[in-house]
Amino acid sequence: MPFFSNTEEVQKIMEALWNNIKANPEIAAPLLQSKLIVQFHYREPAGRLTVDCSDGVNMIIVWGEYDKKPTVEMFMKADVAHQFWLGKVNVPVYLISGKIVAKGPVNKALALLPAVKPAFVIYNDIFEDTLQRPLISA
Amino acid sequence: MNPFVFQSPTKVVFGEHVAATAYEVVKDLGGTKPLVITDKFLIENNLIASILEGLKDGGCEEVVIYSDVPADSDVDCVNKAHRYAKQHSCDSIIAVGGGSVMDTAKATNICLALGGDLLDYQGLNNIENPLAPMVAIPTTAGTGSEVSYVAMIKDNTDHRKLVFGSRYLAPDVALLDPIMIVSLPPKLTAATGLDALTHALEALVATITNSPVSDALAIESARLIFNYLPRATKNGDDVEARSQTLVASTMAAIAFSNSGVGIVHALAHATGARFKTHHGITNAVYLPHGMRFNLEYSKAIYGRAARALGFSNSLDDNEASEALIKAVELLLVEVGLPSNLKALGVPEMDGKELDEWCALVIEDPAIMFNPREATNEDIIGIYKRAY
Repeated sequence: MPFFSNTEEVQKIMEALWNNIKANPEIAAPLLQSKLIVQFHYREPAGRLTVDCSDGVNMIIVWGEYDKKPTVEMFMKADVAHQFWLGKVNVPVYLISGKIVAKGPVNKALALLPAVKPAFVIYNDIFEDTLQRPLISA
Repeated sequence: MNPFVFQSPTKVVFGEHVAATAYEVVKDLGGTKPLVITDKFLIENNLIASILEGLKDGGCEEVVIYSDVPADSDVDCVNKAHRYAKQHSCDSIIAVGGGSVMDTAKATNICLALGGDLLDYQGLNNIENPLAPMVAIPTTAGTGSEVSYVAMIKDNTDHRKLVFGSRYLAPDVALLDPIMIVSLPPKLTAATGLDALTHALEALVATITNSPVSDALAIESARLIFNYLPRATKNGDDVEARSQTLVASTMAAIAFSNSGVGIVHALAHATGARFKTHHGITNAVYLPHGMRFNLEYSKAIYGRAARALGFSNSLDDNEASEALIKAVELLLVEVGLPSNLKALGVPEMDGKELDEWCALVIEDPAIMFNPREATNEDIIGIYKRAY
């Protein structure tokens, strides 16, 4: 059974998570330094989130359509994104098996994986606070 | 046992003079007018004559050859090859050459079959449709590109390598013809052979993604390389040694296509990008150091490989692993390859230059399959030990 019952839930969680990352200078700094625009395409339920660090100063987080061309695009089920933020996704395995599809200079995005790992510990709380239900029963 | 996926979509055909059947194979795949992608050296030395004769004898109405492929292929080259294929209404590809030719052919096939801008297809699993029929005939025994799902093409606008990875990039058929590699000079024979050995030994320890199937291919591939590479290097006309190393290279490539490579490849890619060193020789220099770096995490499998390859009878994995690493070092000496970066012509780096080079290693996709995570300090340590 999917963790998210509809697109609105995915949007709420991902926006809350990324706004939290944006507010945390330690996590945000290497992302801004990369100047990448990364777009996440979710399915089941569908949705699209863009994280634009292109000016190196301000992280722009946009749900839905975005007018700038992303540097890297990642395609995955919303469940995979959820598992990723819980620290349960082995990215190499998921890339090899096609559970995550990467479009663009994937090496640049992969280099940022260690930088976002500290956000794993806040995801659980963000999930429960945002959706007002315990993660265990999700 | 971890769950795993193993696939190898390429049909492999081995035999002396099998390259001459390329056009028959293309026709079986539904192609009628292939673009032959190769390099100038092979054309000028008449090394693909049998393939061209096969095309004429098979009734190919026009033999179309694109041979302007540099040693390190780039986007411009792919675009030119694509335009050439379109001008001549080609519907399939025969790639004859080493890694650069094969990667050019794969990328050209993307443009030929799917159209649009090549750069839009970079990434992993980003190609979702079958491409045009493609037959690959390797003229080195090392890259394994004749069966791999990956193509790496240089983008000259920002001096970086573009990565294309998809099962649809794997050629339909690989024709392994040892006669095609007998003229390979000793140094290139050794260098490409060590590239294949690195594929095997890194695939073996990619502990998250490997499987008993890829392990079996990797270990047998390593056995063939240890046994036959010195012979092939000493005497290029030794068709049996050429055959064994050619098949070993393909086996190692099937293994790493399913399990990945590791830190040695990441180091070699970064060093090659910065100093234009030969990929196979650079892998060879880093291989013992990369193995030692991974030892604590990989000693069980190194030990198993050492015992299977006959380098050690010890049940102590540390002892057996050390025997395997020693065997690699001895092989380097035996085939006449340099054993350090200085001998390879790499200048000594420090400060900002070293930090920038480290960043290239860290962001290389190969490193994500390595069994041990590497910090900047770890990478600098390996570099210094390899220097």
